[in-house]
Amino acid sequence: MGIVYIGDRSVGKTHLAMELANPKNEHVKVLSPDYEALKGMLFDDTTASVKPTDAAREVDLRPLEIQAKLASGLKSIEVKWVDTPGEVWREHWQKDNPDKWHKFADTVRKSEGILLVLNPHRSLLPTSIASEYPTQEQWCKRFQRWIDFFRYDCPKAKHIVLCLNKADLFCKVEQEAAKLAFHPNGSEMTWRNRHIYVLQKYFHPIQQPIEQIGQSTTGLSVQCFITSIHSRSLLELPWIYLANYLAR
Amino acid sequence: MGNIRIIGERGVGKTTYLAALAYWSDKRRKGKKVRNIKLQALNDDTRELAEKAENILLEGASLEPTGLTGGIDLLPFYSFGLEVKPWFQNPFQKPELINVAVRDYPGEVFESLADTSAFRPIHQEFIDECLVKDIDGCLILLSEWEQGNDKRTSRAIGKFIELMDKNDRIRDLRLAIAISKCERGELWSGRLEPDVDLFERHLPQTKAVLEESPIPAKNRRFYAISTFGVLSRTDPRPNRIYIGKNSILREPKKWQPHGLLDPLYWLSKGKGMGYV
Repeated sequence: MGIVYIGDRSVGKTHLAMELANPKNEHVKVLSPDYEALKGMLFDDTTASVKPTDAAREVDLRPLEIQAKLASGLKSIEVKWVDTPGEVWREHWQKDNPDKWHKFADTVRKSEGILLVLNPHRSLLPTSIASEYPTQEQWCKRFQRWIDFFRYDCPKAKHIVLCLNKADLFCKVEQEAAKLAFHPNGSEMTWRNRHIYVLQKYFHPIQQPIEQIGQSTTGLSVQCFITSIHSRSLLELPWIYLANYLAR
Repeated sequence: MGNIRIIGERGVGKTTYLAALAYWSDKRRKGKKVRNIKLQALNDDTRELAEKAENILLEGASLEPTGLTGGIDLLPFYSFGLEVKPWFQNPFQKPELINVAVRDYPGEVFESLADTSAFRPIHQEFIDECLVKDIDGCLILLSEWEQGNDKRTSRAIGKFIELMDKNDRIRDLRLAIAISKCERGELWSGRLEPDVDLFERHLPQTKAVLEESPIPAKNRRFYAISTFGVLSRTDPRPNRIYIGKNSILREPKKWQPHGLLDPLYWLSKGKGMGYV
């Protein structure tokens, strides 16, 4: 089973994946590649930030070996992380790079897990930084295009995981992490309760379309998360959820 | 050894039924007594399914559907050991030991029986495997009982009976026909006598097709199954929440299935569990 890890430009896809490999972990450990190797590959020391994924590069398949501590014990999963440049969603990029686009679309078509990383919209953010992000209306419209993408380009998808990233910008991550936390020996919240909580609190402008995705196809589940590189617990949750299904 | 196949439309709960069996057979549920029967998971596929039940169902999510991809060869094989002790302790009577091997087919296979235009070679592969001589019985799970579904279901079952006949299995393949998700309010009270209170009332055409077929009466039985059960003896609300076409446990800690073992035992042995 493949997971495709997607999102628009600058939503923080690469940084999230890199931080997942950080050895200071709780229940999810990236066995390979190790954090330093990944950091060397993806982090730009001079700017102290993650390098943007090169739009001119081939669609990159990075194998990740992940170990998650689930209710039934330790489970290893192998993930084909398809790291895509954010530009792939732009029509002109698709026209200029038909071979790369087809290769990407083909990979997506075969994937059973879709992990979509989203930026927050302005209404959630403090005014000082809000202008760098889409308005709520733009955000909702963009999501509608994602729905079309799921419907027409992801025929094998069984799990759609929506991650509203940069949670540290719009909520108190420690409080939310404590509430949503996963404990292998018994969590306060079930996956359903976590989904409902996050959906109603942070995804409410697109709650209806999200619910419709799950209702339209048998066996397709949608699960909402908030993520941040500053909260290990929130960062791990989508992977623990997916590991329940992907563990072999 | 009982060799059993499970068929039914998509979403009737075939894999969830097996996951519940696998979970309740797991040694970690020592505290829970299932009458005087011990159930044990015998192979990796079954243990993996038990883990999925623990990681997914008990954590408030739903299992993935079984896909057609890969055909019959890639379908998991679940294997259980049943140890049935006599109801009255008798030091001279040994417990009865039965091994049961089960596979559940993708829902499309059963659906294609009702709509012959949708019947494809890949469906045939599954049907062929289901009707070979070493299969003891087949559990047919049905979940839709509202008006209009009886006609479609009876058509699918009629077609299946026709295929049994063609494959020379009409007189020696046991059929357990069960309504699943019986925790639903309209069905729960009918679970004790499902042939009269569920099938005759809600699926009369389907029942008639079975009873009028050449299948010997001793080789067909009607059952009521509830994989998720109700919240408690005094709170008979379904322990199930529907989310679109999937469903999850409403209160995982109160999970108590109903009627899981009876059809498997009967399909394997050709006699009921009434005496245990």
